[in-house]
Amino acid sequence: MRYVKLPNENFDEFFNSLKNWGKVYAPVKQGNIYTFKNVEKLSEVSLNYTRTMLPPKKFFVKPRDEMLRLKDSRWEKCGEAEKTVLFGVHSCDIHGLQILDKVYLDEPADPYYKERRENSIIIGISCMPDEYCFCKSLGTDFAMSGFDLFLHELPDGWLVRVGSVRGHEISWANEELFEEVSEDDLKNFRAFEERRAKAFKKKLNKEGLADMLDLAYDSPVWKKYEKICLGCGNCNMVCPTCRCYEVCDKWINAYEAVRERRYDSCFMVSHGLVAGGHNFRPTRLDRFRHRYYCKNYFDPEAGFNCVGCGRCDEFCPAKIEHVKVLDEVREALE
Amino acid sequence: MLKLGVFELTDCGGCALNILFLYEKLFDVVKFYEIKEFHMASSFKEHDHLDVAIVTGTVSTQRDLELLKHARSHSNYLIALGTCATHGSVQGGVEGKIREKLEKVYGTKANPMKALDSKPITEYVAVDYALPGCPYDKDEIYQVLMNIANGVEPPKKDYPVCIECKLNEYECVLVKKGIPCLGPITLGGCNAICVKSGLGCIGCRGPLPKDANPAGEFEILKELGYDEEYIRKKFKTFARGELRW
Repeated sequence: MRYVKLPNENFDEFFNSLKNWGKVYAPVKQGNIYTFKNVEKLSEVSLNYTRTMLPPKKFFVKPRDEMLRLKDSRWEKCGEAEKTVLFGVHSCDIHGLQILDKVYLDEPADPYYKERRENSIIIGISCMPDEYCFCKSLGTDFAMSGFDLFLHELPDGWLVRVGSVRGHEISWANEELFEEVSEDDLKNFRAFEERRAKAFKKKLNKEGLADMLDLAYDSPVWKKYEKICLGCGNCNMVCPTCRCYEVCDKWINAYEAVRERRYDSCFMVSHGLVAGGHNFRPTRLDRFRHRYYCKNYFDPEAGFNCVGCGRCDEFCPAKIEHVKVLDEVREALE
Repeated sequence: MLKLGVFELTDCGGCALNILFLYEKLFDVVKFYEIKEFHMASSFKEHDHLDVAIVTGTVSTQRDLELLKHARSHSNYLIALGTCATHGSVQGGVEGKIREKLEKVYGTKANPMKALDSKPITEYVAVDYALPGCPYDKDEIYQVLMNIANGVEPPKKDYPVCIECKLNEYECVLVKKGIPCLGPITLGGCNAICVKSGLGCIGCRGPLPKDANPAGEFEILKELGYDEEYIRKKFKTFARGELRW
C-alpha cells in the first residue's frame, strides 16, 4: 500500500480537487446530530465528528428508493447513479459497507446498489472513539480495504493511505499536493493509533459468543428487555449493516405509479409474516432476541453483522446498550 | 365506475375537508368514482348502494349512529377516516357518563340532542380499512382510493412514527432534546411532520395497532423528568384509554 503525506496547507486545495471526481458528500453537523451532506467548502465539514445518524449506506441503499416507474402501462427502471465522493468515512462504516457488499453484490447482484457502488469514491478519515464505540472489539477499528484513500490525522497534516486503483489516480492527479512520508510522520501515526486504542471505553466480549447465544435462547434477559424495548425500530434504521427493505407501490396519478423500497425493520410485526398468515416472530420478545442473533450469530463463519459503531445505543429511546445486553445474557448463563 | 359516499359524523370537519384538499388529484379520483354523497362538497345526494363509504368523526349522537348504520349497510367497503373514527380522538377522551357531563355543562340532565358518549365508529360497526390521523395525510386516502379502484387491497401500515422520522433523517427530539415524543408507540404514516418542525409527536394517529409498549414509553418520559399525570394525559389525548398497562 502506498503512503503519502498531505500537509495541512494543501488540504483545502486537495478537498476542492475532489469535485472533479463527483459530487462531494461529507459529515456536517445539523442540530445535535451529524449527517452526510453535499458540501462545497472544507470549512463546512465536521472533521472530528463522532458518527452520523444514518450511515453512508444511505447512498447505496437509499432510505426511500424509487426502483421502477409505471408509465404507459410499462414498468421502467429508475435510479441513475451519479458520480459521488464520500469524504470522511470512518473505518467502522467502511467495514459496514463491505458487509453490505456481500449481501447486495453476490449474484444475483442488486443493480441499483452495484451501479452506485461503482460510481462512488470512498475517502476514509481517522477518528477518536466516544463512549458508544466498540469497533476495536470487533476488529473493525482499522480498514485495510474498502476505500480509495484513507486520511490519518498528523499534527501537521494527514498521512494518506492509497487503497485502490482509483485512489492512485486521485493521488497522481494531485501529485504536487503530496509529500513523501518521513520517519517522524510514521512515528506520529503510530502514536495516534496507540492513543486511540487506549481511548476505548466499551468492550464486547466476543469469546464463544455463538455458543453462548445457542445456549441462551430462553434466557430471562430477553424477557427483561422485552419490557424495556419499545419496538420502534430506530436501531435498525441507523444500523450500517441492516439490509432489510420493504417494497411499496405508490400512485402518482390515475395511470402512473412508482415502485419504491424503503428501509424495513425486524421490529415490525409484519417483518416475520409469511404467506398463509404464519408469523415467525409474533411477539416483541421474539423480535428483540432475533436482532441480537442476526447481528452476532447467524453465520459465525461469515463474521459479525455488527461493526461496533454505537449508533443503535446512541439513538435508542430506551437507552438499551448492545454490549450490555450481551454481557447480561452471558452472566445469566454462568 | 365505483360509487363513493362520504359521511360525516361528529367532528371538526377537517377530515372531510382534507379530501377536498387533494385539489387536482380529485380529478384522478373522479375518473374511477362517482360521488353519491359528500355533504361538504355538494348538496347532491342519491341513495344508492355504494362500493366505498368513507366515514369521519365519532358517534356522539343518535343521528350519528343511524347515519353510520346506514353507511355500513349500504356499502361494500367502509373506511374509517381520521382519529375520531378510528380511536375516538379528543372527544372520546372526555371521561364520565353523558348525563353527568350534560349536567356539568348545562346544569340539567335533559338530553334533547340525544347525545351519546363519544366513541369511535369501530366500536359500532366492522370497518374494512382504518386510516387514523388528526388529520391524516391526504396522500394516504388518495393511495387507498386508487388502490381500491385498481382492485388492490390497500396495505395496512404497522410501523411507528420513528420509521419515517429516520427515513427523513430528522434529529430525534426524544433522544437528543428530551422533548416528550410519542413517536415510538404511535402509528406512522404522517411522515413525522411534527418532528420535522422540531416538535414531539403528540400521538394523534393512535397507538401502534399491535404490540405497542406504553409502559416502556412511560418509564422513558418519567426519567426525562415529566410527571406521571402529564404523561397519562398525553397518552389519553387521542387514544382514549387504549394506551393503558
